[in-house]
Amino acid sequence: MKLVKIVVIGFGNVGRAFAKIVALKKNILEGRYGVSPIIVGVADSRGMAIKGDGFTEYELLKLCEVPRSGVNMFSPYAHDFVDIKYMYDAVQPDIHVELTPSNYIEGEPGLSNILFAFSRGVHVVTANKAPLALKYSDLVDMARKRSLHIKFRSTVMGGTPLIDIITSLRSEDIERIDGILNATTNFILTEMHDKFIEFDEALKRAQVLGVAEANPSLDIEGLDAAAKLVILSHVIGCSVKLDDVKRETLSKVKLRDVVEAIKEGYIIKYIASLDTRKREAWVKVLKIPRGDVFAQINGTLNAVKIKTDVGELFFVGKGGGGIETAHSVLDDVVAIALSVKGDKR
Amino acid sequence: MVLKIGGSLLKNGRDYLDVAQKIRSTLLENDLRPIVVVSASKGITDLLIQIVRGYKVLIKEVENRYMGIAYELGSVKLVRRVEEEVSRLRRIAESIEVSDPALMDYVLSYGERISKIIMVQALEMQGINAFELNATDIIITNSVHGDAIIDYPATAVALEKIYGVIKDRKYVPVVEGFIGRSSEGEITTIGRGGSDYTATTIAALLKLDKVYLVTDVDGIMTTDPDIVSTAKLVNYMSYVEALEASMYGAKGINPKAFDPLEKVYSSKILIGSWRHFGTTISREIPLEYYGPKVVMLKDMADYSYIAIIGEGVSRAEFLRDVLDIIVRLGVEIKGVQSYIHRPSMVLYVDKSQSREILKMLHKALFEEGYTK
Repeated sequence: MKLVKIVVIGFGNVGRAFAKIVALKKNILEGRYGVSPIIVGVADSRGMAIKGDGFTEYELLKLCEVPRSGVNMFSPYAHDFVDIKYMYDAVQPDIHVELTPSNYIEGEPGLSNILFAFSRGVHVVTANKAPLALKYSDLVDMARKRSLHIKFRSTVMGGTPLIDIITSLRSEDIERIDGILNATTNFILTEMHDKFIEFDEALKRAQVLGVAEANPSLDIEGLDAAAKLVILSHVIGCSVKLDDVKRETLSKVKLRDVVEAIKEGYIIKYIASLDTRKREAWVKVLKIPRGDVFAQINGTLNAVKIKTDVGELFFVGKGGGGIETAHSVLDDVVAIALSVKGDKR
Repeated sequence: MVLKIGGSLLKNGRDYLDVAQKIRSTLLENDLRPIVVVSASKGITDLLIQIVRGYKVLIKEVENRYMGIAYELGSVKLVRRVEEEVSRLRRIAESIEVSDPALMDYVLSYGERISKIIMVQALEMQGINAFELNATDIIITNSVHGDAIIDYPATAVALEKIYGVIKDRKYVPVVEGFIGRSSEGEITTIGRGGSDYTATTIAALLKLDKVYLVTDVDGIMTTDPDIVSTAKLVNYMSYVEALEASMYGAKGINPKAFDPLEKVYSSKILIGSWRHFGTTISREIPLEYYGPKVVMLKDMADYSYIAIIGEGVSRAEFLRDVLDIIVRLGVEIKGVQSYIHRPSMVLYVDKSQSREILKMLHKALFEEGYTK
């Protein structure tokens, strides 16, 4: 049995869902793959909980019950400060799971955390998009030089393994990618079309139902979708900078526009596109013919159409969602565990 | 076993601690490990219904009640958790439109959810390894907001995944009753008194033999003891009898609670208080237990009806006996209704005489040793 010691940095919805599924699926993973993931440290913005020989299933379930930013209340394993170096020294992790919130200005704290993990020879799985959207090449190069993995399947289309599939298209040339990459804005648009309500009301409903965050600007201004495009552009080897992605805000869409579009036989969608030939990327509000496949993608679903020199591929799956994202993170953890031969210690 | 704690037992912090203490002393110390299903604290669901109907000032009352309980228990962690939940509830309630059933269910779900968080803390304070199980993770329903039906196959899959991890350990899972999640991911509620339905569903799907419904009375009574002081406990009933009684408005069990027991697995229901679980309800009862079990009165606008419920009471012989009693008593009735396929006989009576007739019938059927 290969023990994999994991530290989890960032403990919001995804972090809690991750702790829960590690608790519930540990036995299955041990049986199927001989991999035993154990969580040895958890940190949020105010504190840490550390246990060198790994939290038990029960302790992981109880960790999910601490208040927001309340890991420091998880006695007797709690610490009232955040110091990742201290945590690393105490537990010697194998894999660092980065779940801090995305910050597209300087990428912190995710960027420094990932760099620190590399400096200590620790593999990284991140659901935080910002460090990749800003410093993809640097991070991937650094990992390669140190023979470390950095995996980020959950960053695009949450629970759908799009990045793995794109990576596997080795002989095809990808010419273009179009997608509905942001669940929150697609939910808002679906609400506007189904219920004939104004943008603000649809947004409020999304916030109340927990689909949108209290500060939804990353989604509504298209930054989240743009960051996903940037990550995809790097994965397929046609890198685009985050600043170069042209963005339109969704907030300008009025109920009037929706009604108009419907009358003309269209649906309004918020589409992210990458043209690899022109090296151009944009996030735009577009009218889509009602019969188009994208017109059928509603609510929190995501979809991506990949045009290659061979043909077109289409993927549909749930975006976002704590449980879905957490599974993608755990998949990455297991993939790293399986690809690292033997135990380096 | 599954143990459902009714809201009438959860009025204040002391009550939560009492229930936790009883779970320890009557179950855990006898090596019985329950899955606990909790209702909202008494009166909270009514407040939440008022809130979704537009009386938003009542949020303050819900807040006071639950925060009061949290402070009473004295755990900082609990106070912060309840604070978080209440402020989310406030945000939702303040932005909801009355016509939005999905959001109404969302608001209603907070009554049970907060109750569960408190119960787990109370159990921990008794030294019990309890943890929160989310109904939204395990109870999968259709999308009929306000009165959803549980999808047994989907719920079984979700439930077994979690149960597989906990069944051999000394943990006590606590799940909130009354709420579920539709396959589209929205929160649903399964109808008033739905916690019974949650409890019987969990028991049936996990093939657990017993469901305890804990309340503040010792079991189901032969009639309303407020009207007839000589009402007695009913010791044994069949599902169909209990279902018939609940359809005629008997307090106690939600009619939907019998559905999983009929369709999936026949767990026994035991109803009562910590003192005494006086009523056992099982799929079938032996022939010698056939006969009237419950007689209940319901006043309508212009008349009243008295329903006599029990296996075999719709047989001609019993109908004749009841009519003989009526004739002997010298009262008149406005109508009789009975179908052979239903375990009931209904008498329509004058409103002014209804209580008198109920008392006399109760006496003849349950106190003077009626034998069929």
